[in-house]
Amino acid sequence: MAEDKFDRGTALTIFGTDRHEDFVALSLSIIIALLVYLFV
Amino acid sequence: MVYSQKTPWTLIMGLIMVAYAYAVQSGAMAAVIKYLGTDRHAGEMQILGYAFGGIAIAVGLWQLFAKSAEGHIDYYLSAVGGVTFIMLVAFIVKWGLDPQMAQWGKAAQSALGFNFATVMNLNYVVMGIIAGIVIVNLFKVPAWAEHGVRLSRLGLKTGVILLGTLYSLAELAQLGKLSVVLIGIFVLGSVGVVLWFGARRSLPNSMTGVLAAGVGVCGVSAAVAAAPVVQAKSTEIAYTIGTILMFGVICMFLFPIVGKGLGMGYIQFGAWAGTGILNSAQVAGAALAFQPNGIETLKVAEIFNITRVLFLPIIVLWLALWYVKREVGAQKIDIGQVIFSKFPVFVLGFILMFALSSTGIFAPARHYQGAYFDNSDKIMLKTDKDGKVQSRLLADKDLEALKAEAGKITREDQKAALARLLENKKLMSIDDDDTLRGVVNAKILSKAGNDVLTKAHRAVRHTAPKIAMFRDLIAWFFTFGLVGLGMQITMASIKQAGGQPLVIGSIVGVIKAVGSLIVVLLMVSESI
Repeated sequence: MAEDKFDRGTALTIFGTDRHEDFVALSLSIIIALLVYLFV
Repeated sequence: MVYSQKTPWTLIMGLIMVAYAYAVQSGAMAAVIKYLGTDRHAGEMQILGYAFGGIAIAVGLWQLFAKSAEGHIDYYLSAVGGVTFIMLVAFIVKWGLDPQMAQWGKAAQSALGFNFATVMNLNYVVMGIIAGIVIVNLFKVPAWAEHGVRLSRLGLKTGVILLGTLYSLAELAQLGKLSVVLIGIFVLGSVGVVLWFGARRSLPNSMTGVLAAGVGVCGVSAAVAAAPVVQAKSTEIAYTIGTILMFGVICMFLFPIVGKGLGMGYIQFGAWAGTGILNSAQVAGAALAFQPNGIETLKVAEIFNITRVLFLPIIVLWLALWYVKREVGAQKIDIGQVIFSKFPVFVLGFILMFALSSTGIFAPARHYQGAYFDNSDKIMLKTDKDGKVQSRLLADKDLEALKAEAGKITREDQKAALARLLENKKLMSIDDDDTLRGVVNAKILSKAGNDVLTKAHRAVRHTAPKIAMFRDLIAWFFTFGLVGLGMQITMASIKQAGGQPLVIGSIVGVIKAVGSLIVVLLMVSESI
């Protein structure tokens, strides 16, 4: 997959930067942990 | 740029997923599920099928009939096609190919003399990556899915963060010292050897620097983090990533075979994989391939892997000093700023989850790998829905069976533990449990006696439901990430690993893999 196929992100991520991707992963994990804590 | 494409495939895949979930729910798949032995996955087949299928149907309809305009909604929703594509491959692999391969492995065992599915590690993780590689190289990833495939690394990172929930402080304190010592030796050693080799073979300093970070620390992200410090060109980063991925893929297939051949335990293999394999994704792949039906190996490997990532600031600092020394007139770089801007935040997420788990909110704080000891009356004498007390204490006939064989036990600590068990009808401490597990393993008693001890063991050992849920979620995030990772391994990226970087990277990689194997076999026992 060539990088020029996408005008946002890179060939490895849809997010603008690795840091942005890290924060999305962190947010997702916190939401999942909260749901597991409350409902399991 | 508008990303949404007028394709029916997202809708079709959604319909397939929902139809499959419904078939499982209605019992139409019962014969197939029974044949493949996937009964315990029936619940997740329905939940995941309906959830992903429903989203794919909604987005597929929107893609087909709505007019897309450039913007965030178009950009992010258009990734759903690729995500659904990866999940569909993951479903086929995890619920179809994996159990089928296990059946074929057993069937061919008498003819071949060995179970090829076990020996070749043909489980859902390895087959998922292979499926990804086959799709991208033989058929190409469909254009409508390419955008979404770029979310696979997010899946891996989320899986790593959630993995923190499985650790408790007491556990890490024991493993931590060993991982820091082992990783320290091998990370710093590998970086030093690459820098020395690069100078000997006259590689550009920028190439050597980025390769050293990639081979020494945690693969692709370390290479990317170190690149601005040594002012690496994009082709040099590509060479390094190609080398790391190719070597990592080879290791991912070879490590589990060698580990099983040497009869390594979960902790030993986890320590070796976490130290010797160059890239985080392949560490997870090898650990899951070694132990597909459990997560103990993955946990140990990730502790070593995370320890390795924590060395990144030190390596970045070292490389910066090394580069500035070698490159007269190199542009001045703010090292603190580079570390602050490049340090992978998801590692901090892992530590956050680990801290939360250590407080005891997901399982009793003293839990070990999600399992914990509890012999309180609340657990041992549970009242069911009809108000009847369900006792988990040993019955009189169990006690009689043990008393009849008590004379076979000669060790004082074992005798004392058995006496306490007989007196209280339940195991009184973790130490007593461990002591009597030793009696079972040594086969001192008859099978009937061992069965009673095992019954007593199971009555006081529990797995926290929250941790069990985290395990399932982590396995799915990794499966998703690894199938997507396979779809990014093209022949072109493998060819990029040719030449000098491949030679140096491979030599150092082999030294690291063999060296860490020897050290792990000598230093790591299953009892730490």
